Amino acid sequence: MASIACSLRAVRPVAMRFAPRAAPVVRMAPLRSFSSSRMTTSYISRMNINRKTNQCPPSLTGLARKYTKDHEWIDLSADRKTGVIGISEYAAEQLGDVVYVELPPASGEWTEQGDSIGAVESVKSASDINAPVRCKVTHANALLEEKPATINQVPEDDSAGGGWIVKVEVDEEGAKQFDELMDAAAYKEFVAE
Amino acid sequence: MIPSRLLNRRTINRLRTSSLSPLPRYLTSSSSPSASSTTRFSTDAASHPSNRVQIYLSHSTDPLLNLSVEHRLLQITPPDSTILTLYVNAPSIVFGRNQNPWLQVNLGRLAQIAQNPSAAGWNDAAVQLVRRRSGGGAVFHDGGNVNFSVICPPERFDRNKHAEMVVRALKALSRPNTRVNERHDIVMDVASSAQKATYKVSGSAYKLTRLRSLHHGTCLLRSPNLSSISGLLRSPAQGYLDARGVDSVRSPVRNVDVDNDEFKDAVVREFEGMYGEVQLRDEFDDTALQVEEIRKGYEELGSKSWTWGQTPRFAFSTHPTEEDPRPRAELPFDLKMRLVANHGIIEDMDIKHSDGAAVDGLDASVFHGARVWEVDDWAASLARAGLGSSLSEEAGHWLNHMFGTEYTSL
Repeated sequence: MASIACSLRAVRPVAMRFAPRAAPVVRMAPLRSFSSSRMTTSYISRMNINRKTNQCPPSLTGLARKYTKDHEWIDLSADRKTGVIGISEYAAEQLGDVVYVELPPASGEWTEQGDSIGAVESVKSASDINAPVRCKVTHANALLEEKPATINQVPEDDSAGGGWIVKVEVDEEGAKQFDELMDAAAYKEFVAE
Repeated sequence: MIPSRLLNRRTINRLRTSSLSPLPRYLTSSSSPSASSTTRFSTDAASHPSNRVQIYLSHSTDPLLNLSVEHRLLQITPPDSTILTLYVNAPSIVFGRNQNPWLQVNLGRLAQIAQNPSAAGWNDAAVQLVRRRSGGGAVFHDGGNVNFSVICPPERFDRNKHAEMVVRALKALSRPNTRVNERHDIVMDVASSAQKATYKVSGSAYKLTRLRSLHHGTCLLRSPNLSSISGLLRSPAQGYLDARGVDSVRSPVRNVDVDNDEFKDAVVREFEGMYGEVQLRDEFDDTALQVEEIRKGYEELGSKSWTWGQTPRFAFSTHPTEEDPRPRAELPFDLKMRLVANHGIIEDMDIKHSDGAAVDGLDASVFHGARVWEVDDWAASLARAGLGSSLSEEAGHWLNHMFGTEYTSL
């Protein structure tokens, strides 16, 4: 993803302003500074949904979200054994209209950090999505097959209607790699560079 | 450190005209020991950090070979290097990574051309069908079309930058009416006495990886098959097929009318103007297949599971459905058929009489799990599924036409 993101920097420097959107951001302490009424609303609505299904939103129990230089994000669960992966708002904006998302099969195989776990196509470009940490894909977001534009709309949303890409299992090595990634504040600084 | 492999323009021109004759091993040097003498493509030189600007000319006209060498260069060239590759392919339809060949291509016509070119009015080599690794739509290549490819670091990637480079080359060749349009294509504005028209002369596609980005594009110079392109890229299944993935945008095309070698020289000059000193000039031909990774990429690209099996989910339906309500032409047989395939593998097949009544004795579930590209004759398959002989003949014949079995079974 790094490619696209950087590529358009020269063309559209303004687009680098980080525009946090909706739900996923809220639960992360470092990102609270971005708070807006939009987020609050969606936070509440998420809570409602979760109350209905009587489930604790997985994201609320998670440690935090971290970002890679390639503009992927990953949420790691509190027990550091599972995660959710997607691409950042910034990357989604730089990609332009996503017209197809190639999802990986849940093959049961481990993917090394930095290796491809899928691809998206936008504006005649096939772009790899890379594993932020060593992981094993357990679920792919089937919604993206039908509505690839979800990635443009809510790329950082890890809920049912969101633009997350895969759910993964993470091992000790992956969890260690997670610790080395950028938190939201560091990532914000990174894309502003 | 490998000394820069410098080669002057005159040498390149000489080599270009000498085409397939053995090339002198001017490139090998004692400090690049494994730049083996058995192959003309040197992985060591391509990946050496000192070779920050590289230019390759291909002598192969095999689209699979050229795309595979290009892909290998994308993987191994130094992260901050910029690489230009120029190649010409034998007649081929090259379609995008996430496209549906049953929807983009007239497979029946490809089969006619392959089996009986003169009856098909075809005076060139058979047309190969290739799914490339980059995005974008379907294009036609032949000997009158030169492909350019630029690999550069992601932070310098820009969709128009190297299309503009090619436009400057065309302008230098007295084609001032060329420009890059909003789709990042190169077009030519042609004014005749009565009206002004714009024609596409070059299309582009991109592949972006973590460390490198690739822009490759076509340039129609003197294609002898210009008038056939539109018919080759039109599928009979279009009105029945609803495909996820990427569609092509049809554009009227035209030749720029420039000589291939003059064009290559002009592009090389513009590239040199942009990136300065060239540390490595190399050429390759079909012997590049001796490099194991190139051979692997070549085999993958040429495999049926890539060409057909990489197809995004699609539904084929003889009648309007909720998802695809387009009106359909009336069929000459009393059946409604709907097929859903993912990765070219049938997930659902439904066959009924036109009024919705079940067909006696028919079990369409036998199609589940079948690979669409491996169904050689739908008539036989329908008969095996229990459809009566006259209906299976009629419907099967029609499906053979829709799915281009004449071609897929070649």
